[in-house]
Amino acid sequence: MIEVRNLTKRYGATTAVDGLDFRVEPGRVTGFLGPNGAGKSTTLRMVLGLDRPTAGEALVHGRPYAELEAPLRQVGALLDAHAVHGGRTARGHLRWLAASNGLPRRRIEEVLEQVGLGAAADRRIKGFSLGMRQRLGVAAALLGDPPVLLLDEPVNGLDPEGIRWIRTLLRGLAAEGRAVLVSSHLMAEMALTADHLVVVGRGRLLADLTTDGFLARHGRSRVRVRAVDPVKLADLLRGSGTAAEPVEGSGGAWEVFGTTSEEIGALAARHGVALYELSVQQDSLEEAFMRMTADAVEYRAVAA
Amino acid sequence: MTTSLALRAEWAKFTTLRSQWITPLIAVLLTAGITAAVQAAYGEVDRSLRDDPAEGIYYGMLFGHVAVVASGILLIGQEYASDTVRASLAAVPRRGRFYAGKLMLGTGIGLVVGLLSVAGAHLATSATVGLDLGQPGAVRSIVAGVLYHPLLLVLCLGLTAMLRNLTAAIGLLTPAVFLGTTFLTAVPGVREAAYFLPDRAGLYATRYLTDPAVPYGHWTGLLVMALWAAAAAWGGLLSLQRNDA
Repeated sequence: MIEVRNLTKRYGATTAVDGLDFRVEPGRVTGFLGPNGAGKSTTLRMVLGLDRPTAGEALVHGRPYAELEAPLRQVGALLDAHAVHGGRTARGHLRWLAASNGLPRRRIEEVLEQVGLGAAADRRIKGFSLGMRQRLGVAAALLGDPPVLLLDEPVNGLDPEGIRWIRTLLRGLAAEGRAVLVSSHLMAEMALTADHLVVVGRGRLLADLTTDGFLARHGRSRVRVRAVDPVKLADLLRGSGTAAEPVEGSGGAWEVFGTTSEEIGALAARHGVALYELSVQQDSLEEAFMRMTADAVEYRAVAA
Repeated sequence: MTTSLALRAEWAKFTTLRSQWITPLIAVLLTAGITAAVQAAYGEVDRSLRDDPAEGIYYGMLFGHVAVVASGILLIGQEYASDTVRASLAAVPRRGRFYAGKLMLGTGIGLVVGLLSVAGAHLATSATVGLDLGQPGAVRSIVAGVLYHPLLLVLCLGLTAMLRNLTAAIGLLTPAVFLGTTFLTAVPGVREAAYFLPDRAGLYATRYLTDPAVPYGHWTGLLVMALWAAAAAWGGLLSLQRNDA
């Protein structure tokens, strides 16, 4: 488990990470979500003891990462798939990692098979595609069979097949009881992968809740309705006092806010309006996120 | 226990990357090969190679140095160039331990290169112009010649750790080590100070004869070089501990 407490990083006058608090619990995929430059990578580097926090702390199993003995057995991390020496082979890269933590050599073969690089194990990394490098990075993270995994933007630049592979892998690792933290700026991807979301913007914590809870709270839902007689429907909605907007170019459909499909259905039945269409429209995670970060920016502008 | 793991990781890095292990090999070949060629061609006729036998024996080392310096730079500079330093520090988060692994490997490589280079240079001399190890200074010259290599390698490793940049290290260290001394020696006034530069002090320890202009003894020369290497190694550690990776 990872615990981040009041974690702060300043570079001169710039605050990259601003008093973050969150936990990464075992048995689920936690999405670490935020636009580019929100401080996600800096946070992960501080968790791994690579960057020193200006204030606060990040603990792994209750201890700072730097105090862990054989840390690769505790935490597997993929920070940057390009941070490998192209002159080494995939097996050579994993060999020094294994040696550094006294991991058995058979783990090298196991993870190479697990990520599907068995056939490319003795090829130099400089000839690898981005997808292969990502797979090698995942292999390195899994090498010590750690209960905690940290992956920074693992689907960046992957093809759809690679993205699906990562998603299935991460869900599988969480199902085995591991704590998985995945950073991403791709909301749609996180909606499919993560059980829990930690959302940051400009280094600040914006939300820390389940993916469903995030949508329920920040995603606006609305009821879309279309009737046989559009004029009658328009009169009905105007008379009901609910907030409603016609949908452009939809043949007379309306979107009604702050109500439920049951209420609209009952209202239409009472007034004898026959409906063609009645459905609940949910914001996507992406729309919810955009609205939320827009609010955060506004808040900051007002506060300043 | 875990420092030995850090050393094993460094050894694995060294053996899995061709540029890492080929550079020390080149150092040995250059030192022994050029000494052999020069002794065979000019050893009998050129008095400057004979008056102090060390001049002839270590002639090739002036070229072998290049590869020793490069080896020290590459050992840690490649980590910065490829960004693997982050993976290294995630695997061995105690920076002193990581750095100790580098220094131990660097010292070991330097000793092996020193032993092979000095042995090769002496064999080449013995096979061409002949060698008298009973001469005063001969044994000291061998010991100093061997130790010169790990000291130079650690010096460059430490300075590269301070710079944290492979390109900067190559750009600054190579000319500093090979031209700096020559250049400074030519400038009146700083000439005395130039005697205390690491390569100059270390090389003096390998000479059979005493140079009255040098303000210290042979062994002191090696000590001067060792102090430089220790200072660079210490500076590298501070840089590693103070900076974000």
